[in-house]
Amino acid sequence: MEIKYVPTICPYCGVGCGMNLVVKDDKVVGVEPWKRHPVNEGKLCPKGNFCYEIIHRDDRLTTPLIKENGEFREASWDEALDLVASKLKAYDPNEIGFFACARSPNENIYVNQKFARVVVGTQNIDHCARLCHGPTVAGLAASFGSGAMTNSYESFEHADLIFSIGANSLEAHPLVGRRLMRAKANGAYFIVADPRYTPTAKQSDQYVPFKTGTDVALMNAMMNVIISEGLEDKEFIEKRTKNYEELKELVSKYTPEMAAEITQVPADVIRDIAIKYAKADKAAIVYSLGITEHSHGVDNVQQTANLAMLTGNIGRLGTGVNPLRGQNNVQGACDMGALPSDYPGYQKVIDEDISERFTVTWECKDLVCTPGLKIPEMIDSAAKGDLKVLYITGEDPVISDPDTNHVEEALNNLDFFVVQDIFMTDTAKFADVVLPAACWAEQEGTFTNGERRVQLIRKAVDPPGEAKVDWEIYGELAKRMGANPEAFNYSSAQDIFEEVRTVTPQYAGMNRERLERPEALHWPCPTEEHPGTAMMHVEKFAHPDGLGIFSPLEEQGPKEVPDEEYPLLLTTTRILFHYHAAMTRRADTLDREVPTGYVEINTEDAEELGIINNEKVKVKSRRGEIEIPARVTPDILKGIVNIPMHFRECSANVLTNASAIDPRSGMPEYKACAVSIAKMEGSK
Amino acid sequence: MSIEVNDKFYAKSSDEAIAEAGEYGGAVTTLLKYLLKAGIVDAVLAVESGADLYDAVPILIEDPEDVIKASGSLHFGTLNLAKVVERYLDGAQDMKLAVTVKGCDAMTMVELMKRERVNADNVIMIGLNCGGTMPPVKGRQMMEDFYEVDPDSVVKEEIAKGKLIVETEDGTEKEIPIDDLEEEGFGRRTNCRRCEVNIPKMADLACGNWGVIGPLAGKATFIEVNSPKGAEVLEKAQEAGVIDLEAPIPKGIEIREKIDGAMVRLADKWQDKDWEDKTGREIFSVLSEYMDDFSRCLKCYGCREACPICYCDDCCLEANNGPDWLSKGEVPPSPMFHLERMLHMVESCTNCGQCEEVCPGEIPLAKIWHEVNAKIKDQFGYTKGVEEGKPPIAYFPFPQPASK
Repeated sequence: MEIKYVPTICPYCGVGCGMNLVVKDDKVVGVEPWKRHPVNEGKLCPKGNFCYEIIHRDDRLTTPLIKENGEFREASWDEALDLVASKLKAYDPNEIGFFACARSPNENIYVNQKFARVVVGTQNIDHCARLCHGPTVAGLAASFGSGAMTNSYESFEHADLIFSIGANSLEAHPLVGRRLMRAKANGAYFIVADPRYTPTAKQSDQYVPFKTGTDVALMNAMMNVIISEGLEDKEFIEKRTKNYEELKELVSKYTPEMAAEITQVPADVIRDIAIKYAKADKAAIVYSLGITEHSHGVDNVQQTANLAMLTGNIGRLGTGVNPLRGQNNVQGACDMGALPSDYPGYQKVIDEDISERFTVTWECKDLVCTPGLKIPEMIDSAAKGDLKVLYITGEDPVISDPDTNHVEEALNNLDFFVVQDIFMTDTAKFADVVLPAACWAEQEGTFTNGERRVQLIRKAVDPPGEAKVDWEIYGELAKRMGANPEAFNYSSAQDIFEEVRTVTPQYAGMNRERLERPEALHWPCPTEEHPGTAMMHVEKFAHPDGLGIFSPLEEQGPKEVPDEEYPLLLTTTRILFHYHAAMTRRADTLDREVPTGYVEINTEDAEELGIINNEKVKVKSRRGEIEIPARVTPDILKGIVNIPMHFRECSANVLTNASAIDPRSGMPEYKACAVSIAKMEGSK
Repeated sequence: MSIEVNDKFYAKSSDEAIAEAGEYGGAVTTLLKYLLKAGIVDAVLAVESGADLYDAVPILIEDPEDVIKASGSLHFGTLNLAKVVERYLDGAQDMKLAVTVKGCDAMTMVELMKRERVNADNVIMIGLNCGGTMPPVKGRQMMEDFYEVDPDSVVKEEIAKGKLIVETEDGTEKEIPIDDLEEEGFGRRTNCRRCEVNIPKMADLACGNWGVIGPLAGKATFIEVNSPKGAEVLEKAQEAGVIDLEAPIPKGIEIREKIDGAMVRLADKWQDKDWEDKTGREIFSVLSEYMDDFSRCLKCYGCREACPICYCDDCCLEANNGPDWLSKGEVPPSPMFHLERMLHMVESCTNCGQCEEVCPGEIPLAKIWHEVNAKIKDQFGYTKGVEEGKPPIAYFPFPQPASK
């Protein structure tokens, strides 16, 4: 008999908790705490505790599938890969697009983008950061020179004050929520700004309800107060930033009274939180999708950067601008260059020198210097018939992308559609070819968490049936498409990582021995002697001149606002027990806990509409209509309703607006669109 | 030599090499090896270090040559092996197993045996004295902040005479009184501080280094025989010539009792400090006192997953069956979640601390349940983890009729 504890990283969110998978007789039979792990010290959320429940399910994809006459039939790898290769060769590179998997290890993502660029010759590769923290990557890069979380999770515990906006950490990033609670127990003052009275808000010292989409106005008013009270950090502004005068001028218009009208936050509350934030010795900002998933998402992110620079809350423990990344490896997916505008290490596609360097390194045809299509653009292009071939790895746009009907129309319109995944997802159903992939417990590799920590995952069991690891599949395709055999001839994940180190400056110093330690390494880690960087921007910002840039921004508000026909504002969220859909809805314990969705509706709004708790209602937007149980609650502002995005049968994204896009990042406005709610026909 | 229950010995391996290399004469290593070699057990469940000495991992050993992997004490090993036995080894129903157990592991095993979740006939418990274990990540921080050493340079840690002694790879040693560390919130886990069971008398043998004085000091293990099964194991090992046993120096026995007494008094001091007599140990007072803490619960089920007494396949806390007394998907779940779990397990709660360690909400669960368990002892006269008695909430204590 053999019992083995395999230490690895959780496959769900960007916190990157360590855990032990327990293997008995070649099966993962449980999860046990890995108390040694620096991120979570053996503690897990319900998703992590039951992640093993999906590994050995009967409905894992085990063979390639080819669609014939509308039905899937099993096929051999040879047949399936030959078919895919032939299709990829038959179309113009501009007609082909790739969605990389932000849940897959760095090694797979690296090979995916290399395959797209080197073998297919397209820059049309993107991943779901587009739909969550794309604004973070763009916004903080513009403000600070680097688009990532500035501090570490542990840093929160040193704060005197924590300002949380657009984040519900206790539900969405529970083991970061723990850090915030510990900070609070250490005496930190915890402010939560959110249109919903979330579990996190319920633990705050001060809850600030405010109207969805008015973050810019709120933060402008806060800066207005800080400056008029003389609480700005003059030395920091002088020595470490530029463009302050422009910011000062713009925010002078945003008096608390003016902002109160827009945000529904009383002027004296705005004054109060602004002064508290500015007076705190060490104040940290934490934010997440509540501010990024807007048509002005980049603006919102830059406002947090503005606030932090204004008060010198950068480069010290307990401070910083701290976005909480979503997927377990979305940070890695960005780092690996699964982006239409960036190569690995955020090196820009449009830069001719850089493109040339990669052409040499990868020994390929000249790389195109024009950025490719972003995910929403690929969907639109497919719907129009310009994008003809789509190859998606481990992503479920039918669930996750806005305007589901539009997504389905786009997918149906493709000439050829490949989905590589571990389950037959709602998206995979539309594919022409489905390729079975190994899940996180079935391979070696690395995940990069939201605090830029690159961590090893370890193989616990073999993949089921004929399922293969992603990089092997791309390698097989590359061979069939006549690629340079050396370019994709990897012997292992570690072999791939060594190549990653040579082209990704932030990862260059990460040798295997150093990654084996549970602490692993935070990037940037440019050399093998460099200790890694838990905290960024300590002496200077990452711009060439070392200065942070203030961005003066006007309040735009959401693109689609309530009107007479659609009088309620719909926001969308995620809940603790589910991580999107494909995996957690197949974990028995989690599925039992929350088997289907609901629409949160304020008690007064419900009364006006004559709706009672648990009653099934119709929710309609300009994009579509769904039937969904109502959850009547005082925990959401009047005029705003919320639908968690996990449930296909009552999908929030049937209603959301794919044409409200942030021009600076391509982010759709998931957090705001207009809906109407009505009782079902025939109900009292 | 015929060995009886309550016998005490200084023990060391008959093999010079093992006696030298092993801790305190390598007696435990030798016994475990012997049990495997002689086929008395199919496997040994012990603990080894994983990533480093702050990372304790259970190891199931079938090859006697692998026993050496689990040698040495791991003060950062905070797990309860009873969980592994019940959950992953089917409660030893179909295998003969030897397990190395601290007090909490041993007490929990006894509770599981009473509930017939572990097959008592199939298990030999080799007890290890334990003064308390330390949490790994915090322990590393303690090394930096208090010992001012790189945690990765530490090669050995030991608790002796109320001090935590740390040795680094360059040979230097530094010692700090445990009390001082614990006043600052470091040192042993909080549940360990309250624990009175440093010598696991409910294990078949209790092994440690307290009381070994004279020429064998530091070179032998003090073994106390607690059960006929323990006596038989020791006797066989001696007959097989693998272990050397001598009578202990009487003063040593006294010293061992004194140290134990001091540890128990220290534990009582921590119990008073932790509970501050705030709740009078009444269930609803406890609920009221800790309501704010319970409000941080994320319904991760971590406490239930970690607790060895929570072994039900069909758990009453889960939202799949039964009436909706525990609403699904609520964060925080109703306080009923905790009360319900409590009612089902608290009489067998051994204060092993697993629940509190895995709680992301930092709810002081072990502190709460330990206090309620103390009340059960007061009220029902039931002591958890010892052979006598059956858990009073799960079983009615009908006395056996007098035999005719």
